[in-house]
Amino acid sequence: MVRQRTGDVVLAALWGDNPVFRQILGICSALAVTNLVLNTAVMGAAVIFTTALSSLTVSILRKWTPRIVRMMVEVLIIGFYVIIFDQTLKAYWPDMSRNLGPYVGLIITNCIIMGRAEAFANANPPGLSFVDGLFSGLGYACVLLCVAIIRELLGMGTLIGMPVPFFSTPLWDRWIIMVMPPGAFFTLAIIVWIARTIQPDKEPKKKVGI
Amino acid sequence: MSLRDRIWYPILYMSAITLISSAVILLFGSLTRQRVQDNQLIAFERAVLGALGAGEQELSTPSAIHTAYSTLIREPDESSAGAFRFIKDDSLIAYALPLEGPGFWAPIKGVIGILADRRTVTGIAFYEQNETPGLGGEIVKGAFTKQFEGKTLSDGDPALSIAPVSVVLDEHTVHAVTGATQTSTRLAKFMNETIADWRTRMERKE
Repeated sequence: MVRQRTGDVVLAALWGDNPVFRQILGICSALAVTNLVLNTAVMGAAVIFTTALSSLTVSILRKWTPRIVRMMVEVLIIGFYVIIFDQTLKAYWPDMSRNLGPYVGLIITNCIIMGRAEAFANANPPGLSFVDGLFSGLGYACVLLCVAIIRELLGMGTLIGMPVPFFSTPLWDRWIIMVMPPGAFFTLAIIVWIARTIQPDKEPKKKVGI
Repeated sequence: MSLRDRIWYPILYMSAITLISSAVILLFGSLTRQRVQDNQLIAFERAVLGALGAGEQELSTPSAIHTAYSTLIREPDESSAGAFRFIKDDSLIAYALPLEGPGFWAPIKGVIGILADRRTVTGIAFYEQNETPGLGGEIVKGAFTKQFEGKTLSDGDPALSIAPVSVVLDEHTVHAVTGATQTSTRLAKFMNETIADWRTRMERKE
């Protein structure tokens, strides 16, 4: 494995290899919890917490973990951190815990976290793995927040529950569909489209032939 | 042959990891369990007080809610057919009838407050629901729940109606949350079933 610089890892996680719009990972929760900005922010924090610490742990244990059981170990570690976060939320922020419902628990199945553990933490030192996990989570949270801001503003006329001028007045006919599941598909697709248009295409164009 | 190549090594390793992480989670869980249970209890007590419009002042802290609940509310007994009782100066002011039924995504749990005349609604509050945030989830907000205050139960069935915003309101009707037809329909169904059942049981007592 080529040694990687921390700066490159950060930049790749946030933009060049962004989990959501480049790798199209973890979009299930990107669609589910993005209709209110506050819920999305907490969800993003949960994912950052889990990716950073699970990547760190997987990396620390990588020399002792037998290859044949490594994925089981990874799932166990991820589940461990998610349960800790979920339990903390239940104890100290019950209202938010009720808002997010089952989605915090479902972070265990979020492919970003497993993806980073498999693709990066398994083969890199703990410090760098922690940074990779942290910024992959952050890259994910940023895209989620963009989706949430668009959905809450157009669908409810508010941001973080606070009315926004023009959008919360009768002049703006609230787009209910933006708060419903289809709104997430439209918004995410448009964001991926824009991001991929701006980014230089990494894959060489294949010649189309019969 | 090194330790890692032994056939039992993965089993031992997996067991050790599982044991350690389970122990930490159990420990963490036992440290927060009391708090989590308290939160659930407080959420219920807040809903009961909110539905009854009882002790509105200074109910911001959990301890204030708990104190108000303990002094004002009595557990259900024979005479109330499953409803909690709001007692003030030894006289019955109102009933708090627990509501529970299927929502659009998950069960909805709440409380409806009904005066001792068994006709006038004092309010409604929900303490557990998982409806779509921003749509069905809006049933917990004041814009929806405040409508119930002062409504009366009709003698027929349904006792209360949740109607689309286009319908003109009467004393038994409130407006639904726009865009949350399923939540409103299901809520109206189990709310009216519970009220009807409660009224039957109360009448049987007389």
